[in-house]
Amino acid sequence: MSGVSPRLVAYAQVVLFFGAFLLFWEYGVRYFEVKKYILPPISAILVAIWESRGQIFEHSMYTLAEVLIGFIAAVVVGIIIGMIVYVSPFAQRTIYPLVTALQTTPKSALAPLMIVWFGYGFVSKVAMAFLFAFFPIVVATLGGFAGTAKNLEEHFRALNAGPWTTFTTLRLPSALPAFIDGCRVAMPLAMIGAIIGELVGSDRGLGNLIMLGTASSRTDLVFGCIIVITLISLVLYALIEFAAKSVWWRGIQV
Amino acid sequence: MSATATIEAHKDSVTPAAQPQAYHIEAKGLNKAFGKVKALEDINFGIRNQEFVSVLGPSGCGKSTLLRIIAGLIPYESGAATVKGEAIHSPRPDIGVVFQTNNMLPWFTVRKNVELGARIRKMPAQARDQAVDKVLEVLSLSKFADAYPHQLSGGMRQRASIGQALVLDPPILLMDEPFGALDALTRDKLNVELLRIWQEHRKTVMLITHSIAEAVFLSDRVLVMADRPGKIIEEVVIDLPRPRDAAATRALPQFGEYVAYLGKIMGVTS
Ligand SMILES: Nc1ncnc2c1ncn2[C@@H]1O[C@H](COP(=O)(O)OP(=O)(O)O)[C@@H](O)[C@H]1O
Ligand SMILES: [Mg+2]
Repeated sequence: MSGVSPRLVAYAQVVLFFGAFLLFWEYGVRYFEVKKYILPPISAILVAIWESRGQIFEHSMYTLAEVLIGFIAAVVVGIIIGMIVYVSPFAQRTIYPLVTALQTTPKSALAPLMIVWFGYGFVSKVAMAFLFAFFPIVVATLGGFAGTAKNLEEHFRALNAGPWTTFTTLRLPSALPAFIDGCRVAMPLAMIGAIIGELVGSDRGLGNLIMLGTASSRTDLVFGCIIVITLISLVLYALIEFAAKSVWWRGIQV
Repeated sequence: MSATATIEAHKDSVTPAAQPQAYHIEAKGLNKAFGKVKALEDINFGIRNQEFVSVLGPSGCGKSTLLRIIAGLIPYESGAATVKGEAIHSPRPDIGVVFQTNNMLPWFTVRKNVELGARIRKMPAQARDQAVDKVLEVLSLSKFADAYPHQLSGGMRQRASIGQALVLDPPILLMDEPFGALDALTRDKLNVELLRIWQEHRKTVMLITHSIAEAVFLSDRVLVMADRPGKIIEEVVIDLPRPRDAAATRALPQFGEYVAYLGKIMGVTS
């Protein structure tokens, strides 16, 4: 094997591993005669995705919109609350403990309530995505602001820097790495929130399609939806990772 | 060596700020406590215009606290602290501070970091660029203007920190152990650079240090502090000829005598 780069070997290992896994899935279910509605072979799932591609795409866009709007709302509100708590001692005494306490409530238990409040449609799912994404973002933002180096704050004070300059030049860039970490955690959670909302009650979206598939024993379609949800989540996560690259000063101390 | 008597004599002769010998920085009966901890007790001293004064003292004796009070960063309980005859209550534009920690923003280049004070103080762009260029030049950092702080050596970072204060060309410079974290060799080099800058620009300097040799080499006067509670126990006038020169000054017999004397006061056998 001389002359083969270790990188190529590493790639080959990954490809071989997943190839073996898929082959095992494909022929294992046949060999062990697993019922199709329990676990269909991977080829059947891919066929189901292809055959229902129009439907899956439409529901995907619906779910994606819920996730993105919920996530963006969580970012905006999270930053605002994070800032308010950081600058106001009153908010620190009141809102901060409230947020911390609410963080521990199981958000999935709120899904039926969201449907009662916001109806069967789009808004209740956005609310679910928001609820799931909000807490990690607000907690991370708070941590980011609180983690602003004391010596740098003093340096700005010695320079007579105004609050706005101190905020934009010092606090915001200091808080960015933690904030991005919060987004990293929150993005997949927003997806989970939206899907749970759709599973509890909806008329559209990938969660809804899963419910329909389950009701009609279309396990291949259910798996198809799960794969699509995972792929969307991965793409969204990659976008966050890409954004995180611009905050390169994470962990650098000088 | 003159003791606290000198400062007393001067204080009596001081009347408002217009006098050439008037104190630029002055403390009278200054007290500061953090809760129950008495950090500073009955501090009296003065630093004249363009005078270079060092403050020596053991760790925890309140040197940084004293500097923060003069810089207008923290309040004091009683007594008076004045700059150019005005009571200190907030940071002043005519004071530049170099802190114990180097205060570079990791997301800014060296140039941006040095520029920061000038931007905050809203210096016009052209004057600012000139000032930054000059400071980078003086501190031999021109080649590293576009580097980020984490790409610099400790000595370069410390020079850049001094540049952050120098860029505004403040008449008063307060420095808190600016070379504390550096190795002896780098420290010696930076001492020489600081001396050169001071000899050129003649600022009023208060330098906090724990290096006796550094204090003697640079200063017109050295104030020695003791701890618990922090107070000034001795004042030594360093009567070495100026302009000073690294090798020649350190070779003077008096240099060694001052170092030995201060060492004795501070309880160091050297
Ligand atoms: N912000 C603070 N809160 C409480 N105690 C402090 C604070 N700053 C300094 N001190 C205390 O005051 C004393 C003097 O500290 P400092 O001025 O930093 O000493 P030095 O700079 O001489 O090492 C120490 O006992 C220190 O623990
Ligand atoms: Mg100190």
